[in-house]
Amino acid sequence: MIVCRIRNGVVEDFSNVFLDGVSVRVLMDGESWGFSSTNAIDLSSVEQTLEKATKLAKASLPLKTKKMSLEPIGDVKADVSIPVKKPLKDYSIEDFAALPLSASEGAREGGSQVAEVKSTFLAIEDDKYFLSSERSKIHQKATRVFLFVNVIAKANGALCPAQESFGHTGGLELFDTNSPYSLGKSVAEKAVKLLNKRAPPSGRFRVVIDPTLCATLLHEAIGHPLEADIAMTGGGFGNRIGEVVSSELVSIYDNGHVPSGLGYFAYDDEGVECKHTILIEQGKLKSFMHDRTSAAILGVPPTGNAHAWDYSVEPLIRQTNIGIEMGDSSFEEMVEDVKEGMFLEGTFGGQADVNADFTFGFQNARLIQNGRLGEDLRGANVAGNAIEVFKTVDAVGKKVVLRPGACGKFQFAVQGRVVPAIRCEITVGGMGG
Amino acid sequence: MSLGENWNILKGFVHKAMLTLEKREATEGEAFFTSTQTTDIAIRNSEVYTQNMVCDAGVGFRVIVRRNKIGFACTNSLSQKAISEALEKASSIARASSEVPNFALPRVTELPQVRGLFNREVEEMDVDEGVDIAKRMLNAAQSVDDRIVAKSGRVLFESGRRGVINTFGVDLEERETRSVLYLDGSGEQDGEVTGSCYDATFNRGADVNPEKIGENVGKMVVEMFRPQHVESFEGTVIFGPEAVSNQFFTVLVDALKGDNVAAGRSAWTNKRGEQVALEKLTIRDNALLKGRFASRSFDDEGSASQNTCVIRKGRLESFLHDATSADASGEKNTGNASRFPGGFDMIRAIVGNGYRSKPEIYPSNLMIQPGNKAKRDLISEVDKGILAESMAGFAQPGSGMISTKLSRAFYIESGEILHPVKGGMISGVAFDWFKQISGIGTDVKQFMNSVVPSVRVENVKFIGA
Repeated sequence: MIVCRIRNGVVEDFSNVFLDGVSVRVLMDGESWGFSSTNAIDLSSVEQTLEKATKLAKASLPLKTKKMSLEPIGDVKADVSIPVKKPLKDYSIEDFAALPLSASEGAREGGSQVAEVKSTFLAIEDDKYFLSSERSKIHQKATRVFLFVNVIAKANGALCPAQESFGHTGGLELFDTNSPYSLGKSVAEKAVKLLNKRAPPSGRFRVVIDPTLCATLLHEAIGHPLEADIAMTGGGFGNRIGEVVSSELVSIYDNGHVPSGLGYFAYDDEGVECKHTILIEQGKLKSFMHDRTSAAILGVPPTGNAHAWDYSVEPLIRQTNIGIEMGDSSFEEMVEDVKEGMFLEGTFGGQADVNADFTFGFQNARLIQNGRLGEDLRGANVAGNAIEVFKTVDAVGKKVVLRPGACGKFQFAVQGRVVPAIRCEITVGGMGG
Repeated sequence: MSLGENWNILKGFVHKAMLTLEKREATEGEAFFTSTQTTDIAIRNSEVYTQNMVCDAGVGFRVIVRRNKIGFACTNSLSQKAISEALEKASSIARASSEVPNFALPRVTELPQVRGLFNREVEEMDVDEGVDIAKRMLNAAQSVDDRIVAKSGRVLFESGRRGVINTFGVDLEERETRSVLYLDGSGEQDGEVTGSCYDATFNRGADVNPEKIGENVGKMVVEMFRPQHVESFEGTVIFGPEAVSNQFFTVLVDALKGDNVAAGRSAWTNKRGEQVALEKLTIRDNALLKGRFASRSFDDEGSASQNTCVIRKGRLESFLHDATSADASGEKNTGNASRFPGGFDMIRAIVGNGYRSKPEIYPSNLMIQPGNKAKRDLISEVDKGILAESMAGFAQPGSGMISTKLSRAFYIESGEILHPVKGGMISGVAFDWFKQISGIGTDVKQFMNSVVPSVRVENVKFIGA
């Protein structure tokens, strides 16, 4: 990994991170998992790690009451390198530094009210081997690059933050069509523009949600509760397969094969091929996202959603590239039908709960009155219950956007989101009365 | 390889690599290295799902070449070649870097003696004992009520060593152990599922009480059955320790960090000596306390740990510093360089903590001095308000704006809790709330980097769902 973070024109963090290691996972008597990892990769250490995993697996055997019958997936032989047009090895560390520096210079164009600019370039090269006692042998290589820009504008004691990012699975070709300078400039302009704007009002509103914010809503509000480890605890979407859980305008999937999506994986970390899994079809709940264990418990095929952030941690159920199928509404049409509401843009991230309750931040908004976009407003947080909110969706945009995403459920993960704008009702926690 | 063997090998390689640094154009350099073993039992859907053991060791080098240009590189490969290469990479990155004004590394100083950081029982904890603890925690939760589902949980025992060497002669190491118990439950009543109800303990020793955590979580879930909507109002909010630790803490840390203050990013820049809160509020950062989770004798760049009063009776007395920000501001180094900061930072989340990243300013144990009111007294004096035990969402650093969802909260009227609250948000600016505090509880609780009680605040806006 290479990290280069520029803060106010100065290189604040320039890091080279090299990590390697091995982990062993043992399923004992079809009942109990043990996992052990080490950074020492000599033969004796790896053998010890295997022994430890076996001992660990045995430890909870006495508690198990029924055997799991994992669906066999063995004997997969694959060597997958995700295409990279501009590989990292062809560039110098000065070239890497130039990218966030350019974003930083762009942000300075925002003017004297730009108080703080942080721009970070990050590149990850992943070289991963998976071997199993089911005779699978899978080698996967992927490169992922990111550029993050955070700006704080300041005037008369008021602070206003804004942020945006690029990210994809691939090499530095990301920046052929995405200019770091322009990204920096647009984030800074947004932060400055919002400085003298009012906070949004609070209460329940009909809102149009832009794709960037929709990405967070989808990931937090629908994605997490549809991960089988969460869903199977009974909350939110649990026990509701086949039921109508949202507006019929909504169809949602998870797909590991979205080219350049950050969650682009051929196989998951249990050796299961990543699939296009339909989660919600025209409002009806079809499937959860599974690892082999949750799939075995429910008696369904695994969906390729078991992912570990690195060798040191066990695979968990994670989203890959989660998406909402496009609808047929233009942005103008979505705004036109709102008598009194808001258009919410940009994201500050969020959280979801087992019962499908969620909260997340938006960066800025515009009032909508009688079908027209009006006053610019600052950001705040929204909250709601995914099932209640998605039942109120009455328009889905006809243009989808691929967004970079990330998630910190026990361990980190990079993910993609394929999202249109949507219109729904939501509670806004603004401070503007 | 045992933990001790791993450590000795790593330390030998790191020392040898550092010796070569003096012969180069580097003017200063530092190595931070750790070797840890973590045993972790994970609960999923009311069952012990997996037992994990992670052995990890590695080193991160900061190399400073002429005119304060800094490079960082790390590796977990345990060979002289890989470790020397990492040092070489840090040097070449430093040459391509830009000048960091006022950069400083700590010098050799006398260290305080901090007791209770290492516990042999934790180091020798067997996985079978861990599984037994997990089982007892689960049983305790479910014996409260059979509708309780433990959606996730962890029993974690970590043992390790942490070392810092720099070219000014700092050469330190410390043995540490940690134990964490965590349980997150919910339950269904009349077709409605409660939100997350969780409890956790953060200790240095093996003396844990899984039955208590299980019972707490069980009771929390039952208390959340049959929540009711509450209309929006402005009134009193009692923030429970967990809400204080999540929401107030984020705002406080951001405002107290010496580098933020120097750059004008802190809302408290130029406010040292001013009254920033009501007199009831006194806050210390104390790394010296025996056996506390974030206690240590030296920080993660080798400065001596301190006990610093940051807010005394509402008056802003000190900021938190590492060697660089202390030098830049001319203030005392408070020993707050941390390679294990909490909070969410995207890059740190990707790269990892410890030897994998350079230090940043962060509290050790940030402690709000408890008040004199028991929780029931805080509640009994409320005319109309909310008890917010747990809140989801992030406080906005810088502005201090908090507009977050209530995940475990209760409606209070005429001094009594009437019912749990369904949904709803609280919004306001934490810096204003510090001046509206009407009571502080006696119910302090330890979190990873904070030790805090309940805090009651007047005139807070509640937004009904």
